Amino acid sequence: MSLESHELEELKTKIGREPTSTELQIIAAEWSEHCSYKSSKKHLKMLPMDGPLVINEKGYDSGVLDVGDGYVVTAHIESHNHPSAVEPYGGAATGVGGVIRDILSAGTRPIALLDGLRFGDIEKDQHAKWLFKNAVTGIADYGNCLGIPTVGGEVEFDECYTNYAMVDVAAIGFGKKENLIKNHAKKGDLVILLGGSTGRDGIGGSQFASDSLESDDRSAVQIPDPFIEKLIIEAILEARNEKLIHAMKDLGGGGLSCAVSETADALDIGIEMDVEKVHTRESDMHSDEIMISESQERMLIITDNEKLIKLQKICEKFRIECSVIGHVTFDKKMHVKKGETTIANLSTDIVANATLLDLPSKKPVYLENIEKIKSFPQLSNYSEVMLKLLASPNIASKIWVYGQYDHEVGIRTVIKPGHDASVLRLDNGKFLSIKIDGNPKQCYINPREGAIGCFEEACRNVVCTGAKPIGMLDHLQFGNPKDPEIFWTFLESLKGLTDFAKEFNIPCVGGKVSLYNETPLGSIKPTPVIGVLGLIDKKPLKIQKINSGDSLIIIGNTKDELGGSEYFEYIHKFIGGMCPTVDFSESKKNMTAVLEIIENEFVKSVHDCSKGGLAIAISELCMTNKIGCNISLEKIPGEKLDSDKILFSESHSRYLITYENKNLQKLQVILKKYNVSYNIIGEFGKDSIFFTSDSKPIIDLSVDKAQNIWFNSLKEMVLHA
Amino acid sequence: MVDYRVHVTIQNKPGISDPEGKTILNDLVLKGTHQNVSQINTAQMLKFVINETDKKTAQSTVQKICDELRIYNPMVSVVTIDVFDV
Repeated sequence: MSLESHELEELKTKIGREPTSTELQIIAAEWSEHCSYKSSKKHLKMLPMDGPLVINEKGYDSGVLDVGDGYVVTAHIESHNHPSAVEPYGGAATGVGGVIRDILSAGTRPIALLDGLRFGDIEKDQHAKWLFKNAVTGIADYGNCLGIPTVGGEVEFDECYTNYAMVDVAAIGFGKKENLIKNHAKKGDLVILLGGSTGRDGIGGSQFASDSLESDDRSAVQIPDPFIEKLIIEAILEARNEKLIHAMKDLGGGGLSCAVSETADALDIGIEMDVEKVHTRESDMHSDEIMISESQERMLIITDNEKLIKLQKICEKFRIECSVIGHVTFDKKMHVKKGETTIANLSTDIVANATLLDLPSKKPVYLENIEKIKSFPQLSNYSEVMLKLLASPNIASKIWVYGQYDHEVGIRTVIKPGHDASVLRLDNGKFLSIKIDGNPKQCYINPREGAIGCFEEACRNVVCTGAKPIGMLDHLQFGNPKDPEIFWTFLESLKGLTDFAKEFNIPCVGGKVSLYNETPLGSIKPTPVIGVLGLIDKKPLKIQKINSGDSLIIIGNTKDELGGSEYFEYIHKFIGGMCPTVDFSESKKNMTAVLEIIENEFVKSVHDCSKGGLAIAISELCMTNKIGCNISLEKIPGEKLDSDKILFSESHSRYLITYENKNLQKLQVILKKYNVSYNIIGEFGKDSIFFTSDSKPIIDLSVDKAQNIWFNSLKEMVLHA
Repeated sequence: MVDYRVHVTIQNKPGISDPEGKTILNDLVLKGTHQNVSQINTAQMLKFVINETDKKTAQSTVQKICDELRIYNPMVSVVTIDVFDV
């Protein structure tokens, strides 16, 4: 059991007696890091969480944003790292299921999913390949069965995830404001458990281990059943329409223990329940197992006697089980009985509020010299470097992944995966743009600037579609917080995110902290993943095909910032250097200018410059449009730099704008108005990706060849290597 | 050396849910007149023909193949191996 001895002492003092075995299990689940956020909660308060569009209601598992005309968008992000590392197919699939129920519990319909996946080096490591392949299939199978489109995400490989899997899932919901569940309860209300049966799967998942129960390691294994989930979604939404739900919560980590204690604590009520009333999969389950089982596809609902009959009818119609497991009391206690015998009786305040920790932090030693740059021999053939990068797992097209996901079901998807951000049509004529981004390579070198970079990149991506960022989701994934050096990186990332969020008035509407992400080789690199939601009031950028004669403008300065770049890490196998930093005022200026340009329809497309740098970003434009380009490096704004720095530096706040020459004048008026740094750097035409430096060619690559490699290399790696 | 037929049955461990089996039971079998059926579990079967010295070695070789090649995930599933003479 994960309860530490001092925590046990604390529990005894608080309740003034010896806890029962069931109480111990409940507390161990609820006081675990996963459920209580005991290490991080104190610090998370620094993030701005309010804004004009944010709707806060007690007991919500997801963030709610008002998008006007009586509609709301909900959003949440979750990870399923540990389960996916053990059983990638089921772990990734049930990760999708869990976050969908968070969206559902606010009373909104899930309309889109995004996934961030991270694994070890799939070029060398067979196990990483196995994890990757199965996690993708798990997500595809689950999302596709539910009819919820997977509209975007990101995939990354790094040796720090060897023998491990990072599976982050973000879900977006949509609904009418009047249909939001206003979590409340009155005395005598009934507590109902609806959905799948409670089994032994996932027992102790939130505590990772458990000594007093059967420990066959099946704790981490959760079997997905998307068809029950689909029935639950429809049943809940029908019950919502009929106003049958007083309060609702999804069962996730910690199972019933968490759902019951947290609901009671949030609503300031007590709940009395009977484990014998819970519908179980096996007949011989122990009460403790029932209380902490993390079986999937279950919801806790509070309603009254009268509405229960209607709710039961709906469940019957959808053929899902529901059992009345207890009722609401007003003693603020979580009272668990087995028949007539009391097996746990604890104040919900004690259960749901673990003592928060103030862990020590210390700047990691490794950071002292990391920014020093080694000198590398000058490379002679940049065309070859480009081919290597285009084929590298982190840069190669991810079509093999998102091609397996149904990304159009629901017919809302206006801009599909493969672009900077995805865009969904909303019922009020507006559009929602969403993207998640992470960058552990840069976060490792500079946890603060790296985290800000992820945030800005996600903003840049939604801006590229014409959307104004309105909300942020943060998913903070780190190693063992008890290591002061790791905790320091957590705090630095969090501070960076807070500063950016405040400066840009983007509230944090939801998030998750996942700690203890350790592999046999040690801790993972700091891996914050940031999701940004953007709103488009009128219409999104209509991406048009680039034709011969169209030109290219770059907005933003290119700086000497190769630290954490694919060029350093993949080509030179070097971890270090100066990682890109965001200049807040430049970032803001560039965003505003780009949004105005898109709104006026002066451009054919806007593309963000990130992984792989400028050279890769321009090549992506060429490859997706099947057209060549002619780019002059000396025209690129920024200080005078060596060619490799200009080509591959991953500096932030840069946008590539393609346009028809007749629009140049109008474009320049806006760019000058905001005083942004920009330049015309080349034009499109012919059939090769052609870069010159001081009129000398340095890259000359056939578009067809590049496209073939970029498009197919990931698939080849997974399926045939 | 003799040829043996080896049947490998892969199924979820007891206690781990089996949505497919449950659906076949509830939505197919019990919908008919077969109320005497109480349980259906799904499994996957691989049929090997292997040339080995004896039955026991045939079994252990196949077990080794399944483990090494991750033909099943030991966290989720159990395998039962039956050996028959050809």
